Amino acid sequence: LPPPMEAIPCKPLFFDLACNFIEFPNLDDKTGAADGKKQGAGLTG
Amino acid sequence: MSANKESNLVQGYIELNKFCQSGDYDRALKAAGKILQIAPTEQKAFHCKIICFIQLHNFKEALAVLSNPKNVALAGDLHFEKAYVQYRLNCPKDALQTVDNAPEMTLALKELRAQILYRLEQYQDCYNLYRDIVKNTTDEYEDERKANMSAVVANLAALNPSADLPQFE
Repeated sequence: LPPPMEAIPCKPLFFDLACNFIEFPNLDDKTGAADGKKQGAGLTG
Repeated sequence: MSANKESNLVQGYIELNKFCQSGDYDRALKAAGKILQIAPTEQKAFHCKIICFIQLHNFKEALAVLSNPKNVALAGDLHFEKAYVQYRLNCPKDALQTVDNAPEMTLALKELRAQILYRLEQYQDCYNLYRDIVKNTTDEYEDERKANMSAVVANLAALNPSADLPQFE
């Protein structure tokens, strides 16, 4: 027979949300993609 | 800069961008290194290199590169990345100092600062900062942030059971 349930303290969950801000910089100005956008009319004209 | 070098640089960045976008951090790291060999002052390539180290969980190397006196000019703006690496290397005091030395308190730095304060067991300051963050953000991590806040409150309660603590539903 299992012993009766008993509440015990536990370590609370704690999430690393700062890691979501670890992002690559935008490289469009370095790859020439930014120039292309300026010349050609994009989806938004 | 010669036309040849210029075009090599653009090619390098196109390659780097491809690996960054596909999440191929090993290859991105090599591509960033290649750019820095041609042009050692390329701040964006350096930034990518650091992000790669972090994504590859090589925090030690990231901190070594960021702290190298040779890279002062390149690393100057990467306050958040440096503080995050220090946090992950379990040096919360150094991380807090890096955060507080940053010229501007961005949202990323605030989020990290709250986590550092938790690690430092400064729960009241941590709680106040989370209140501020929650008030000023709408993103997809609101539940996780709430969980973090309850963790802070749980710790406050453990330290001072008679304190008047905020309630969570």
